[in-house]
Amino acid sequence: MRGARRAVPLAIAAVGLAVAGCMPTPETTQANAIDFLYLIAQILAAGVGITVYGLLVFMIVRYRRRRPPAPGEVPPQVRGNTVLELIWTGIPLLIVSLLFGMTVWTLARVNDPQPGQPVQLSVLAYRWGWRMDYTDYGIVVQSTGPGHGPEAVLPVGQPVTITLTSQDVIHSFFVPQFLFKRDAIPGMTNVFTFNIDNPGVYGGQCAEFCGMDHYAMPFTIRAVSPAEFQAWVTQQQTQAAASATPSATATP
Amino acid sequence: MVATDLEQPRVTIARPPVAEGLVDWLTTTDHKKIGLLYIGTSFLFFLLGGILALIMRLELTQPGVQFVDPSTYEQLFTMHGTIMMFLFGTPLSVGLANYLLPLQIGAADMAFPRLNAATYWMFLFGGLIVLSSFLPAGGAPAVGWTIYAPLSGITYSPGAGMDLWIVGIGLTGISSILGSVNFIATLFTRRAPGMTMLRVPIFTWGVLVTSLLILLSFPALTADLAMLFIDRHLGGSFFDPSAGGSPILFQHLFWFFGHPEVYILIMPFFGIISEVISVFSRKPLFGYRAMILAFIAIALLSFTVWAHHMFTTGAVNLPFFSLLSYLIAVPTGIKYFNWIATMWRGHLTFPTPMLFAVGFMFVFLLGGITGVMLASAPLDFQFQDTYYVVGHLHNVLVGGTVMAMFAGFYFWFPKATGRMLSERLGKLHFWTFTGGVLLAFLPMYQLGISGMPRRYADYTGNPTWDLLNLLSTGGAALMAVGVLFFIWNLISALRKPADAPDDPWAGNTLEWATSSPPPEHNFRWLPPIRSERPMWDWRMRQHDGDDQQAAEA
Repeated sequence: MRGARRAVPLAIAAVGLAVAGCMPTPETTQANAIDFLYLIAQILAAGVGITVYGLLVFMIVRYRRRRPPAPGEVPPQVRGNTVLELIWTGIPLLIVSLLFGMTVWTLARVNDPQPGQPVQLSVLAYRWGWRMDYTDYGIVVQSTGPGHGPEAVLPVGQPVTITLTSQDVIHSFFVPQFLFKRDAIPGMTNVFTFNIDNPGVYGGQCAEFCGMDHYAMPFTIRAVSPAEFQAWVTQQQTQAAASATPSATATP
Repeated sequence: MVATDLEQPRVTIARPPVAEGLVDWLTTTDHKKIGLLYIGTSFLFFLLGGILALIMRLELTQPGVQFVDPSTYEQLFTMHGTIMMFLFGTPLSVGLANYLLPLQIGAADMAFPRLNAATYWMFLFGGLIVLSSFLPAGGAPAVGWTIYAPLSGITYSPGAGMDLWIVGIGLTGISSILGSVNFIATLFTRRAPGMTMLRVPIFTWGVLVTSLLILLSFPALTADLAMLFIDRHLGGSFFDPSAGGSPILFQHLFWFFGHPEVYILIMPFFGIISEVISVFSRKPLFGYRAMILAFIAIALLSFTVWAHHMFTTGAVNLPFFSLLSYLIAVPTGIKYFNWIATMWRGHLTFPTPMLFAVGFMFVFLLGGITGVMLASAPLDFQFQDTYYVVGHLHNVLVGGTVMAMFAGFYFWFPKATGRMLSERLGKLHFWTFTGGVLLAFLPMYQLGISGMPRRYADYTGNPTWDLLNLLSTGGAALMAVGVLFFIWNLISALRKPADAPDDPWAGNTLEWATSSPPPEHNFRWLPPIRSERPMWDWRMRQHDGDDQQAAEA
């Protein structure tokens, strides 16, 4: 039938687009766990999508009536089938149980403390910028205006613990390549830890609407080797001592 | 015709002289007219909200600020969401229920006709108050339809627009609560003889469960709004952390209302889909009782999942709310398989209502699958507050509620007006609108996965995002074309002479037993009610009767 011929490619494209979306390459140990969960969820979603669309297209193509039925001709008046209904209650229950198990396992891996002394970064979100305080080193990097965020230099292969809060409204600390965000809430402190796996520059941004310049509240994370990180720390501290006022910018 | 005891008591009621025109509509307590007022008003709000969305999509077509400045853009998305959720979706389902519920249970009117009229006028004036928030200095609130504190507090939203919003939405909320009391009372007290609860049409079951949800969830919103107002003007500090308050409390109350709200926006529409598929398959709804249980299961679960909107706050139990959110997939799956099984071995025909019903099943499934993804707390760490959520919610609300609304419009338009809508325009409407929905909302998933946050007035430098946003704007334009086909269809149908028979689709339920449009008190006779498909039974019996007569002759 015409409708079905049109519907089939449309449906396939739709399932494809919805479930085949690619996560950014995960750049932290925790993000790898989330990425794996996403893969499992995608496989299950594709299975469900293909099953349901397959059945639906079959019904449409197979049982479509072109001619009006003969007088008195009626299809079998089936009102239900307990076995079938138990099957399509049971199978989804199994699927979501599996997903739930995977979710709990992934959450444990995301929250799992990693070996090593974490770098402490205290992050304060405000309208419309970020103040990032390396509490152990006395270094502060900060936004310099809308659209000009700070750059936090962090070591790879070492835990980084973020202590997050807000001074005004709710913001959200979001680094897409870490597959992670956490809200910055006034009056409340959120603490989370991640391990960056690879050196690189990773863009971050505010993800909770916070007023006019919400869209212009970026920050960057530059991940470097532990040795380069130590060099950067020393350089920042020397600079700060030389100028006698705390450095307000991330540019080394 | 089969005589029933309903036909017997021929009481002549002295009717007031028929008031014509405007006065009639302004003073009516007829549930059908109130239903049409609700549907018409909410459809106008739908068009207005759609125009705001088109302006937003126009702005997002390419990076950079072109048409509206960021603060206007932020007012637009706040009001778009507000209008679509509170002034279109909720009153639309109330309107359909108003028109159909008394007809489907064989009643003459609602239990409280004057209260019914009052709820409509409260909704209308509440809606106008919300729209008037554009007028004062500072313009409409720019806080998102979820109006999170402290952003919506007096410090960050000092304008009177926010107060008008609170008062207007509060009024529509109270109207919804009173309306749901009326629906529940009507269903429990006004059913025709023989109409037991397990013979009540599935759409009306959806309305019952929705009314219970409204009754239990809207008070939480009312309380939240009252607390926000007290914080703003009466020195309260419910949501102010510096005085012991909590912004998280605002979210708990908001989503305790907000998550049931999305089921309020879909359950009557699940009912429409069930009814349409059954009629155009010439079969009873497969698993009618299971469908009712699924409604009840979804309703109960909907009160236990609110904090999945708060996974990234760090303030809620993640596994608990993940598990319960996942579980909603089970009753929803039951509905899907029952719809498919209803089509199995049926005599399927595809006039426009059925096209929209089947289109709904194709598109809504994507929203269902991505909803399961969002139920997983770790995946939500990436998806929360990105375009993934925007894609998901529009997939279920536009691919779901709006497409089912169109299925219902095409299905019941002949009953309400005595005129058939054009099938040719209907098909054009269906294909353009459905294509538009897919094109507008599917690219949003990839935008969100790759990290584009929602509620951004501008985005920068990423060729993939540029393309996906361009596609999405194209889809929005295509949807607008589809809606224009519908309006054209509507106007040309209303201008032609009445041509619809009483029962154009060979329907199942009692509304098809009366004339099109129905008389003021709905029924001159009723068929005997022996199942949830009294009209089907009656037609079958007529047919058997014909055979018998032929045999006797």
